[in-house]
Order: sequence, then structure tokens, then C-alpha cells
Amino acid sequence: MTTIQAALSGILLGGLYALMAAGVSVTWGVLRIINLAHFGMILLGAYLTFELATAWRVNPLVTLVVSVPAMFVLGGALQWAFDYLRVSELNSLLITFGLLIVVVQSVSNVWSADFQRMAAEVNPYATESVRVGRFVFPVPTLLAFAIALLVILGAHLVLRRTFIGRALRAYAEDRPIAAAFGIDHRRIGVLLAAVTGATAAVAGMLFSLANALTPATAFEWFGTVFAVVILGGIGHLVGTLAAGVLVGLLSSVVSVVLSPATAPFVLFSAIVLALILRPQGLFTVGATR
Amino acid sequence: MTRRFAIGFPLVVAVLACLSLYRVTLGFPLFYLALLTLMLFWVTQATSWNILSGYSGYFSFGQAAYVGIGAYSTAVLFGRHGVNFYVTILVAAGLSAVLALAVGAIAFRLRSLRGEIFALLTLAVPFILAALARINSSIDGGQGIIVSVPPFPAGLGLFQDFLYLLNLLVAAVAVLVAYLMRKSRFGWALAGVRDAEDVAEGLGVPTFRYKMLALLASAVIGGVGGSLFALQIGFVAVDSIFHLTVPLFVIVMSVLGGRTHWLGPVVGVVLVVLLQDRLTASGLGEWQLIVLGAVLVLLVLLAPEGVYARLRARPLVALVTAAVVAAAVWLPGEPLDAILVGLLAATAVALLPLRAAPPAPVVAEPAEQAAPAPVAPPAEPVGVGEVLVECRNVARYFGGVRALEDVSLTVREGEIVGLVGPNGSGKTTLVGLLSGSLRPTRGSIHVAGNDLAKLPPHRVAHAGVARTYQIPRPFTSMTVRDNVAMAIMFGRSPRSLATARRDAAGPLDVVGLGHLADAYPDKLNLHQRQLLEIARALAADPKVLLLDEALAGLNPAEIDNAVEVIRRVHRSGVSIVIVEHLLRVVNQLATRIVVLDRGTRLADGDPREVLTDPAVVRAYLGKRAHA
Repeated sequence: MTTIQAALSGILLGGLYALMAAGVSVTWGVLRIINLAHFGMILLGAYLTFELATAWRVNPLVTLVVSVPAMFVLGGALQWAFDYLRVSELNSLLITFGLLIVVVQSVSNVWSADFQRMAAEVNPYATESVRVGRFVFPVPTLLAFAIALLVILGAHLVLRRTFIGRALRAYAEDRPIAAAFGIDHRRIGVLLAAVTGATAAVAGMLFSLANALTPATAFEWFGTVFAVVILGGIGHLVGTLAAGVLVGLLSSVVSVVLSPATAPFVLFSAIVLALILRPQGLFTVGATR
Repeated sequence: MTRRFAIGFPLVVAVLACLSLYRVTLGFPLFYLALLTLMLFWVTQATSWNILSGYSGYFSFGQAAYVGIGAYSTAVLFGRHGVNFYVTILVAAGLSAVLALAVGAIAFRLRSLRGEIFALLTLAVPFILAALARINSSIDGGQGIIVSVPPFPAGLGLFQDFLYLLNLLVAAVAVLVAYLMRKSRFGWALAGVRDAEDVAEGLGVPTFRYKMLALLASAVIGGVGGSLFALQIGFVAVDSIFHLTVPLFVIVMSVLGGRTHWLGPVVGVVLVVLLQDRLTASGLGEWQLIVLGAVLVLLVLLAPEGVYARLRARPLVALVTAAVVAAAVWLPGEPLDAILVGLLAATAVALLPLRAAPPAPVVAEPAEQAAPAPVAPPAEPVGVGEVLVECRNVARYFGGVRALEDVSLTVREGEIVGLVGPNGSGKTTLVGLLSGSLRPTRGSIHVAGNDLAKLPPHRVAHAGVARTYQIPRPFTSMTVRDNVAMAIMFGRSPRSLATARRDAAGPLDVVGLGHLADAYPDKLNLHQRQLLEIARALAADPKVLLLDEALAGLNPAEIDNAVEVIRRVHRSGVSIVIVEHLLRVVNQLATRIVVLDRGTRLADGDPREVLTDPAVVRAYLGKRAHA
């Protein structure tokens, strides 16, 4: 019984992982930037929600009005700079690692390194839960899963169906050819990174609903999120969603069945195995390189 | 080992040792000794990181794993169970080595593994170890371990002196190892891996072996350093050891100092540790990481080659600046401030954009090359000898794409086989199969009696196959001469660097690049780069030379020159397989022509007959043209 409950909660939690991972996966796959700073943006989003909700006593969901545009601009500006400076894939890893450290330490200087949680009166969702039969689902997790699903599937449809989406995929496939067909990579890249930044703000908000915040959380996301990115296949949104759910499921079932401390160990063993057996991702079809 | 190093290195180590041994006499404050100890710890770690990541270009974010294994080995065995301290150092080295072998066996066996994935994999390792230590509270008792002071010779003075000397010893060994590796074949092999890994493998460099050795050396040094770190901090707990600041520090230090040089990390360590110390002393401790992160970002963008290379370019200016600025600040303030400001000033001067690029080596075309290429005589009748290459019913699929299907081909000694066919007919795939960089899905390939399926790519080079790439891929960090020397050094019979450099003149003369031997590849035009490809392949002393569109994109005069070069190579007794679209060239050169079309062999035989074969004409020009 508890195992099934854990499995269901894990699946819901996986939605949030997938949302965090989607941004990393798309910028890596399409723009060839491994953006560790994305974790910094999620962290900033979470703290913005915390700060605004606490200071102005507004509903945390409303704080997105500020944090989404802010991260949209930040994400776009970063990509503009990367493009302007012609940053290579490996260098992007180093540069964004530096940026992430700067963000985490700055957050720590502003909000302190202590755990902070939104007060119950501004965060009405924290204590509520939905009961289905014998299973209980906290509202923040449900909300996170629903929004993550919406954002990822929406983004997937945009990439599949619209002109911009096709242009992006063409650009990811072969840059010179895409450019020859009149695709302005600079504008399209900045737009994509900006949208990615916006998803970071949303992910940060959702995280802050259910969890206490501390700057070092950003590093703790590393492992899980990269597991999701690699298992899902770099640049594949639906794969990322599936991998997020799988990872959430796996780690929470393992936590219950074995012990909470084993979860990261099992998870990383899973990534290593996946890297060896299917380096192109679990859910990508065909094309072996 | 150069003379300068043989004298300078022991001298520096001796001076540093004296600071502790005669500390009281010299009046050297204990506080400075502690700071130096910290620097030495980081010298060990940064050098350990640099041996793998700087030299080979495989970036690791997992340095904390070695520090953690080292510190935990000592803390658990010595701190909790009272095992002899020196034994725990050996255990730390051994465990780190085991971890490195495991990671390397996974990471470097994957042929599809790119540097980015390696970086992420190493990012995960410390997390796994930290989780492992957290789960098994029997390891550290759950609360962290207090590490007491081990017994040490009384003559050394205080515990701080002992710790300092121990760290000095380990750091000195680390730097010595880094130096010896950089200056030997090892360093050249890793530089080849960094510049163009599969090209290096194709020239005969056993890249897997060298990467594993680098990883192993890095792990042992890092683990031993971590073991001493346990003594230094006195209290070992998961969160203080497996921390992301460890990789941050070693990466910033090495990138700041210079990744490709053995002394780079040391320069970086001195700057970073001093900076950290001064920031803390001025009450700006919480800015430390922000400053470091920003430094990393700016350096990667502005001076990816690091400070050390820049310092060497203008040592006098930097030295004078450092002295002047340091002296100016020294008068009122704290000596450490003065040193730091002086060093920063020198760094700033070093990083200023170079005014004028050093004059490019004078490129004087030798006269004979300017002369018009002699009217090409028809291909010389060369005695056709033994079978060198034999492909039997070879097929190669990429996923569902059938690039080659049931192709059989022989190349005999003394032949020039022209491999032609429309785009996508499988020519480059066949070259990849013959050079061992691709494996056939079906069928067998023998070269001079060796079954290629049983050989790793670098052994295929030793069996007598060398190739050029359609788009030239020189080792960009090496001169033209050293590019060629690489192939000689790691050839069938290994040569020393000095010999290889001397012998590189031969292949360079054959292609007519002798006058550019000391230039770097980025100074070469396309034609010269393609000639360099040929020279490098020749230097591997091949029996068969595979030329993959070596003439693509050249103008007519350059083509005539290249044709002459290929003739010269052929006359020296090398069989050649040439992939080419220009039928004029193939017609001039080839003793036999093989036509591929959509992955199958369409024709094979005498050039004149093949090129008038209706099936061939159809494949090239379409049905209508023939009718």
C-alpha cells in the first residue's frame, strides 16, 4: 500500500523534475549550450516567489507575473551573450558553472544560507491535499505535475507544429543549411533561451510551494535533473517528461522499499547503465550513431 | 628533463623546505606556513586535475571524489580504528586508483562518449560516494570523524611544520609527475587526444591506454592529497568533503594558470589562494565564491590559454610591474596584500591584449614549386605485386541505412586505385572501414595478412594503413613539423621526439611543405593543410595510403601540384587508394578504377574501359544521357 502511494507520489514529483530538465535538455540539444546556470535561474525563480509572496502577501501563483518576465529577459540575455561571444559547447559548461556559483553565493548573501519557507498564510497550497480513495496527494505536487505537463506538452506541440518550431529543429539538425534557408539563428536562439528561462521561473515557483529553500538546493538538483536529461534523450521533450516520471517513480519507490538514503545511489547507477547501454536516451527511437 | 628544470625544481623545493626546517631562525611566522600548506594542498589537487583534464581535454567535475576518498580513508582507518597513518595514505591511493579504473573502464570504452558526457558522469561520482557514506553510517559513525595528530619525528618542530613538509613532498611529486608526463610521449599523446582524438588513434596512438594512465595518475595524486587534507582539517564529515567548491577551485586554478602547461596550475593556485585569504581577512569572505565564479567566466572568454602562457610571452614587463606595485603597497600595508596586489598587477599586464602578433614565419615558396607542373606522363607501368588489401563481401549499415552492401575489393602492391562514384555511394564509408575507424557489419577486411576486425584502430595504422581526411584535421596546438612527428613517434616502431622531429623533414619534403615546418596549422591555406594531411599520413610509413578527396576545393594549379605530390608518393613504393570526384585526375593517376553506386560495386578495371562502361555513365549522368 505504502509502495503504491510512494509510486504515485513519485510520478507526480517526476513532473517537476521533467520541467526543470526540459530547459536544460532543449538548450543543450538545439543551442549546444549546456546551461548549468539554468539551475541558478530556477533558484532565483524560487526565491523571487518566496520574497514577493512574503513581502506583498500575494498568492504564490501571482508572483509569476514578475518572475516569469524577469527570467525570460535573463535567459534571453545570456543566450545573446553566448552567441555574441561564440561560446563552444565545452566552454559553455565552464562558463555557466561559474555563473551558477555566482548566483548561488549571491542568493546566499541576500537571503542567507538558512532554510526558508513561505508562511502558511501566504501559501494556501502547502497544507492542502486531495484524497482519492486511500491515497493522499498534496496539492503542491498535483499542481506542479499539472503545470509541468501543460508546459512540456505545449512546448512539444509548438516545436512540432509551428513554423518557429520547425525552424528550431532545422537549426538543431544542421546550422549552416538552416541559415542558408533564411533562418535567423540569433533571434530564434535568444527567443528559445528566453522561453527556457521562463520555464525556470515556473519550476522555481512550483518548487517553493512544497519545499523549504536553501541556496545549496541548486546543487542537489544537478544529479536528478541530468539523469532526466540524459535518460530522456538530449533535446527530446516527450522523452524528458517520460524520464522525469520514471526517475521520480524509481527514487521514491526505492526510498520506501529500501531507505531514503539509497535513492541517489540507485538513481546514478541507473544513469551510468543507461549511458552505457543507450547513450542516445531511453525513449529516442532509431538513429544509432 | 631540461637543465633548467633539473636545477631549478630541486632548488625551489629545497628553499620551501627550509622555510619550515629553519622557521625559528628565519623568524618565518607560523601563519604564513599555514597559508603555504593550504597552497600546497591545492597545488596537488589542481595538478592532479590538470594531468587528465588539462592535458587530454576531458573535463572532470569529480575532483571531490578523490579528496573524499583520501580524507575518508585516513579519517576512518586512522581516526577511528587507529591504523598507522602512513598505511592509510597507501589505502587512499589504492582506493582512488580502483575508482579511476572503474570510471575509465566505463567512460573511455564508450566510443560515442563525448567530452560533455564525461564531464557530467564525473559530476555524478562524488554524489554517489557522498550518498554511500551517508547511507552506511557504520563508515563514519554518522557524525563525522575527528582526526587526531599522528606521531611524527620530533626534530621537525610543530605539527604545522610536519603537515607543511608532508604536503610539500606530495605537491613536489605531483608537479614532477606532471612535468615528466608533459615532456614525454605521454604528453604528446594526450595533446593529440585533446586536438583530434580519432585522428591520433588513426595515426597509431593507443589513446585508450594513455587516457587510462592519465586518469590513474590523476586519481592517485588526488587521493594522497585528500588523505593529508584529513589531517589538515582535523574533522571529516560528508558535507565538508564532497563539496562542489573542490572542482570549482581546481578548475579555476588550472584555467587561470594555463591548462596545457605543467606549471599552469601552480601559478593559478598562488593567485587564487592569496586572493581568497585576503578577501577573508578584509571581511569579504562571502564574496569569495562570487569573485571566483566571475573569474572563471571572464577567463574562459578572454584568456582561455591562461596566465602562464601570457606571462612567458612578456616576463620582464610582468616582473617589473609586480615588483614596482608590490613595493608601493608594501610600505604602509601588510606584506601579503603587497604580494597579492603585485601579482594581480602582473597578471593584468600579462592579460593585456598582445599588441602585434608575433611575425609569422616567412613563407617563401621554394622555386621549384613555382615552376609549372611538368606535363603529366601517363601513369607509369608499375609492376603489380602481392595483394595488400582484401575486402570480402563487406557490408556496413548505419541504423537502417545501408551505406555499403556486399562490396569486394583488392588492392595490390604498386597500384593506385581510383575510387569513384556519385555522392552517397559509400566511398568515405569504405575509407573508414579500411582505416579501421569503422567496423564492417558483415564481411572481412585483411590488410597485409592482418584481419582488421581483430585490431583496434591504432594497430591498423601499424599494420600499414594511413588515411587523410576530406576536411583536413591537423593537431592545432602543434607546429607542422610536430604534426608529422606525431605519426613517426607513435608509428610501427616507436621513436623518440628528437628523432621523430628530425625524420619529419622527409615527408614534409615529399609534399613540399619543408619551408613551413615551424608554422602552426592555422597559418596554412587549404591546399597546404591538405598537403600536411598527406605528409602526416606518409610519416606513419604506410603500405597503403587512403586519400579521401585530398584535392577537393583546390584551384587547377594546386591540383597539378597535388597530382605531382601523389605521383612522388607512389614512386616511393606506397600503394594508394584515392577517392576523387575529378575524373581528369583519376584518369591521370589511377592504374585501376573502382566505381561504387548506392553502396554496391558497379565496375572494377582499367580506367579507360571503366569510364566508358554504359552502366557507369548511367550512374553518373542518368539514363537519358546514355541514350
